[in-house]
Amino acid sequence: MRYKRLAFVLIIITFGFVGAQNKQLLFGFNDIPQSALINPSTTLKNDLFVGLPLLSHVHATVGSSGASAYDLFADDGRDFSSKLQSLIFRLDSNDFFMFNQQFDIFSGGFSYGKGIEKDRYLSFGMYLETDAIVYHPKDYAVLAYQGNADNIDRIFDLSDLNASGEVVSVLHIGTTKKINNKLTIGARGKIYSSVFNVNSTKNSGSFVTREGQNNFLEHTFNLDLSVRTSGIKSLAEDNNTDFSKDIKTIRKRMLFGGNLGLGIDVGFTYQATDQLMFEGSLQDFGFIRHKKDIESYTLKGNYTFEGINPLFPEVGNGQTAEEYWDEIADNFEDLFEVDSAANKYTTWRPLKLNGALRYAFGKKQNKDCDCLNDDVGYINEVGAQLYAVNRPKRPQFALTAYYYRRVFNGFRVKATYTVDSFSYKNIGLGVSTHFGPVNLYVLADNLLEYQNLAKAQSASLQLGLNFVFGRNK
Amino acid sequence: MLKRKAIYTLLAIMTLMSCVKDVDFDQAENFSLTPVLASSILFTEVEASSFFENDMELESVRDSVANIEIFEDQFVKDNLIKAELVFQATNTIDRTFNLQVDFFNDADELQHTLSFDAIESNSGNPVVTDYTEVFEDDSLDALKLITKMVITLTLYPSSDGSTLNENSSGNISLKSKGIFYFNIDV
Repeated sequence: MRYKRLAFVLIIITFGFVGAQNKQLLFGFNDIPQSALINPSTTLKNDLFVGLPLLSHVHATVGSSGASAYDLFADDGRDFSSKLQSLIFRLDSNDFFMFNQQFDIFSGGFSYGKGIEKDRYLSFGMYLETDAIVYHPKDYAVLAYQGNADNIDRIFDLSDLNASGEVVSVLHIGTTKKINNKLTIGARGKIYSSVFNVNSTKNSGSFVTREGQNNFLEHTFNLDLSVRTSGIKSLAEDNNTDFSKDIKTIRKRMLFGGNLGLGIDVGFTYQATDQLMFEGSLQDFGFIRHKKDIESYTLKGNYTFEGINPLFPEVGNGQTAEEYWDEIADNFEDLFEVDSAANKYTTWRPLKLNGALRYAFGKKQNKDCDCLNDDVGYINEVGAQLYAVNRPKRPQFALTAYYYRRVFNGFRVKATYTVDSFSYKNIGLGVSTHFGPVNLYVLADNLLEYQNLAKAQSASLQLGLNFVFGRNK
Repeated sequence: MLKRKAIYTLLAIMTLMSCVKDVDFDQAENFSLTPVLASSILFTEVEASSFFENDMELESVRDSVANIEIFEDQFVKDNLIKAELVFQATNTIDRTFNLQVDFFNDADELQHTLSFDAIESNSGNPVVTDYTEVFEDDSLDALKLITKMVITLTLYPSSDGSTLNENSSGNISLKSKGIFYFNIDV
């Protein structure tokens, strides 16, 4: 119970810190065992690591591609409504708000291999991930803000409604394999257990008011909207007020009780020379099949409405306005009738691509013997990293340049400069310390914005604690 | 050692400096949406010859629309702050018509009436009459009770005593829309 509360508090705290899902600081920071989660071909340089349960890796990130809290809530005397209005109109429907959170429930790993030289590494664990993305529903917002009266001929695009969210637990195991002196490959298998899923990413249709042929106005509705959910219906309908029961249900789902899926991460590391290396990985190539506790809602139909006609049965075609109206009312009712059904569906996890080019330099001089110490190797590294993630509307990209330094054995730092959807000047800093077997790390980005987080469009924080044995073997 | 201290100091400063400044999240409390919705209502077109039936001129024609639920809707009751009903009559008949719309509540009690004349056309050229009824305050309250409307088109007697017959030319057409002003406190 105390663990749970602690974890909960940590999530809240990290959420409060408000980068992107991109883990540019962790990628390649191989002093931290969790870096193997980004590229499964990463051979960690230790014999064994055990993550402190619930605390080995906590990651939270919040981002908004087009706006910051400051844009809306600045205490600048401007009217809130007008600020909101200018924001609604400035952002387009590809702008988005996202949230991603991950934390390790447990994790561990060890090196193994035939012979004395253990050249393979096996790592495993389980983490809980929450991922949500909501695109700016621009046309809906404009319609709610202005109405249609001053927007004659404007086609309100109903595909602007695009959002998805999920909570999923991931059990994983991965290993590396050395192909030759230069190339190492790796793969990580994953079993996903979905706790909740909501998505509405395949909407289409439009609403438009035009000048009519026979009347002032003609309204055309073309609706094709749907929302799919899993894991929500039973909790919403059970009418119990006992939250601890719901927690139990959720816990069961985390341990294979939910909707299950499979996935794989693959990667390679190519040590071209002593100093130059390339690496690349694909993460979360996988799906979840939603079969249990599902409910889908659809709204589908076409209708054009010009008004009530004819009038006056004495002079018209005999149909009364009342009959005509009843017909219209029925048509509207049909049009806006939401059908619900329990349709099975499959969701794909957001596929991520990571790539890096790294160059190490500056051998450490040993002052005492004035010789090169091979064990320590190069103390500096610079490089470039690419990150891409597939999202409902289009992929998002981030490009990072970084500098890494072993300040001394127990203290390593990495500084990054990232350009992404959120910012052109995202500077991040990560620190990994080792005191005995204890590895403690903190990674944070968007540091320039820390003076006033309200102005930041994104921020991320990762921290964790591991016990690492046999380092620098 | 010095280096370590420097880095920790830097981190500490960064943490202390991080904050959220110059923002006022309470602003969102006095926030409202003010959309203006436009909707088609009635339209019709009647030939002059249609007013001649059983060898007689029809004095008036009447129609009604019942089961109007939209104004009874709680959302509309709470958030509609003004409404305008906009009519346009186009007359090419050499007679003046009166259009009257009576609004009733569920108990068939009259809540509101509007009426206007669609002026005659002497030459057969279209004569356009625009009319707008604004619902505010008391009349808006009345509008929020209505579930039924009765539309009456009355033919004024001609000045020369002539009547419409099956050979009469011209027609009268009507267009209408409602403009609804909302103020939605979010």
